[in-house]
Amino acid sequence: MQTAGDKRLSIVWIVLSGVTLVSWWIGFDHHTGPLRLNAPITFGVLSLAALKSRIIIQEFMEARRAPRLLRRITDAWLLLLLLSLLGIYSIGMGFHL
Amino acid sequence: MRPMSNAAMNAPGSAEANSSLGNAGLRIPGQPDMWAFVMFEALIFSSYFIVYMIRRAMAGDHFLPAQEHLSQGFGVANTLILLLSSWFMAGSVRSAREGKYDIALRQVLLTAACGLLFVGLKLLEWSDKIGEGLTLSTNEFFSFYYFLTAIHVLHVLFGFVVLAVAARELRSPPRRSQEIVETCATYWHMIDFLWVIIFALLYVMR
Repeated sequence: MQTAGDKRLSIVWIVLSGVTLVSWWIGFDHHTGPLRLNAPITFGVLSLAALKSRIIIQEFMEARRAPRLLRRITDAWLLLLLLSLLGIYSIGMGFHL
Repeated sequence: MRPMSNAAMNAPGSAEANSSLGNAGLRIPGQPDMWAFVMFEALIFSSYFIVYMIRRAMAGDHFLPAQEHLSQGFGVANTLILLLSSWFMAGSVRSAREGKYDIALRQVLLTAACGLLFVGLKLLEWSDKIGEGLTLSTNEFFSFYYFLTAIHVLHVLFGFVVLAVAARELRSPPRRSQEIVETCATYWHMIDFLWVIIFALLYVMR
């Protein structure tokens, strides 16, 4: 029999797979021609990747049931990484526009 | 009568577990050392990601023509397979916690099967790219592509050793330790979240 915990894990897995497909759709080349720099797509897919990583850490790795310090460290790492990547990308865009 | 396992002894909610928590029922899943290792690995990979992004930003749109040669289908399939493997592994931790060791063992084996499929697809993708003449030295994008995916696959390969440890724990009643199963799961999920970021950086971003 499936417990509430099993059901939660299944929902998490479905959400993660769904977000992956959404991310793929966002980045998919919907028109022919060469790929071009695209800040909205980049911001969207990198933010979704950070969100997915957070869900994996909180739910699959059970950090949500861990002491607050661990949750804060993992969240701080993800946020810092995301902001660094988006910041570097934005600076690069500024130079090449 | 079945001997009382460590899993039962250490299960969250048990008197022993709660007495060692001191944090309103909160506890670190698995061994804290593994979490320290995971954060260390996360920082190492972060440095790779940041160097990649710096080089990519400096190159303007020069990475994009090379990126067009990647098959997003491979990337998506690999991501879905690793997410499935993580679901099995998280389920294994739960099953072991509930004393359903046969199911937990089966879920570890399914996790390993997904891992094998991931590595197999990665080898197929690499051979496909090498067949097209796209190698480590073709351009900077492909240098990063091979480096990041190869270093990640090395972590997956070590993950099989970790899964073997979990399976060994689950197979033998006197050895069963919920803490070790959780520790192994923590490592495996790290492989998953690192790939999620690699997928976004190499395959999807523009």
